[in-house]
Amino acid sequence: MNWVGFWTLTKREVGRFFSVYRQTVIPGLISSGLYIMIFGFTLERRIREIAIDGEAVPYTLFILPGLAMMNTITNSTANTSSSMLQMKLLQQLPDILTSPLSSLEVSVAYIIGGTMRGFVNGILVVALGVFLIDLPIHNIPLTIMFVFMVSWAFASLGLLLGQLAESWDNLAMLQNFFLTPLSFLGGIFYSIHMLPEWAQSLSFINPIYYMINGMRYTILGVSDSSPELSFFMAALMTGLFTLAAVLLMKSGKKIKQ
Amino acid sequence: MTAAVHISGLQKSYNGTEALKGVDLSIGEGAFYALLGPNGAGKTTTINILTGLVIKNGGTTEVFGKDTVRDYRFTRAQIGTAAQELPSDWFFPIEKLLYFQAGYFGISSQNAKPRVDELIERLGLTEKKDSRLRQLSGGMKRRFQLAKALIHDPKILILDEPTAGVDVELRHELWDYFRELHKAGKTILLTTHYIEEAEMLCENVSIIHEGKIIKEGSPKELTQSLGKAGITIRFTGWNDKLEPKLSNYSYTHEDGRLHFTVQDSEKSLPEIIAILAGESCHIQSVKTEQSSLEDVFLSLTGKGIHDEESQ
Repeated sequence: MNWVGFWTLTKREVGRFFSVYRQTVIPGLISSGLYIMIFGFTLERRIREIAIDGEAVPYTLFILPGLAMMNTITNSTANTSSSMLQMKLLQQLPDILTSPLSSLEVSVAYIIGGTMRGFVNGILVVALGVFLIDLPIHNIPLTIMFVFMVSWAFASLGLLLGQLAESWDNLAMLQNFFLTPLSFLGGIFYSIHMLPEWAQSLSFINPIYYMINGMRYTILGVSDSSPELSFFMAALMTGLFTLAAVLLMKSGKKIKQ
Repeated sequence: MTAAVHISGLQKSYNGTEALKGVDLSIGEGAFYALLGPNGAGKTTTINILTGLVIKNGGTTEVFGKDTVRDYRFTRAQIGTAAQELPSDWFFPIEKLLYFQAGYFGISSQNAKPRVDELIERLGLTEKKDSRLRQLSGGMKRRFQLAKALIHDPKILILDEPTAGVDVELRHELWDYFRELHKAGKTILLTTHYIEEAEMLCENVSIIHEGKIIKEGSPKELTQSLGKAGITIRFTGWNDKLEPKLSNYSYTHEDGRLHFTVQDSEKSLPEIIAILAGESCHIQSVKTEQSSLEDVFLSLTGKGIHDEESQ
């Protein structure tokens, strides 16, 4: 194991997004604050509470876990995918690929970078909720663990996509046509029970639905899907995406000629 | 003695097009070796396979007797590569990038410091060490590439077109530095399509053409065995006895001027002068011309090394 090399690459990946925190940390916080103000404070006059799991939850509190999760997913995916694609396009990847680092070491270092960005962004939105709307947190260790696990899963997905992508257009397409719609349709702003039956069935095949509801459970103690299923889906995605990203890296198919 | 680099039967295809058709190459430790060929001949593909950037289709690649795929941790640690493509970076100052590069090779920041400081100074990067890569000129980026390749003090230095696009002054500066590194014991593999660069710096040259090594030897051996030399002598005192004595040479004679075509002018010139002097000829002037490696390349491949670039 090349510990120094692994640690160096991890430090680089974490340092990369912290060095441009105005692009990578602040925007998520601002947009989440705006969502709370616009959707929460204004819509709350019309929708005061949402009934979930037999409990009435104030609307602003209801949307907060979903916002935190969307921020986590977007940032963790963006970090690894953009870093990998940027390294490919700017001729920096050869430095890594010609060094005595294994595919596993390289993959995990990238994933940790993405996980850190997703985690920081998710937790900051939760902190914003605590600060702005007195968000009560049902289970703090579970919240931290869940944000970490989802960050890891989507950082791995980002690494996979960053290897596959050949242009910024490919990545933007993924973000705009898949991740954002799936996040919105995953129940950030509504409970699944407010949907017609056919739309409810569609939500069950949306993996982000389980991430949002898992987060809602850890923060509010209530959710549309069972917490066990949400945790199982998060663990399954973590395992599958990590395996896929590492195996693609090991094969070198999209990063070596 | 184990070769620093040993390549045997190396093959690589891109979408059905054969880029390497069985390259064989052996470079001894401490050698200054050039891989010479036009763009697209297979030079960069060969070194990229050696460093792990390209996946080969067949053949073996070894560094100090170890397989570059199976024992990649060992082999990659022995090699420093100054790539032809210049990188860019928006996030970190170049000094920090050198620390990162050392780190990838298992050298902690503390241990890397003296080497980073030394290379920054030696390569004239002191004033730019806090700049981002994208703020550097092409020449500065070339220097940085070299610093990066040398940061872990590798035994083998691969220079892929190291002077492409640099001005004459920097080119000479870099050549001096390459000589210094070679003198210090580094094995250097240079890929270039500047023939004079290979001729001036290297002890051995392989000419690669269309994915195959077509000739190998020292620049002198290649020019002597495959090139031609010309000797032109102006003199007075021609007599008939000279004709049989010069019958072993290919020459023309007109108006007190002899022109010889020989393989090796250094060997033939004293012999010819001795014959002329022996017949009491009075030599007025002597002019020699030796064909260059470029002429050898032309005779081997049927085209100049820069032909494919201009197409």
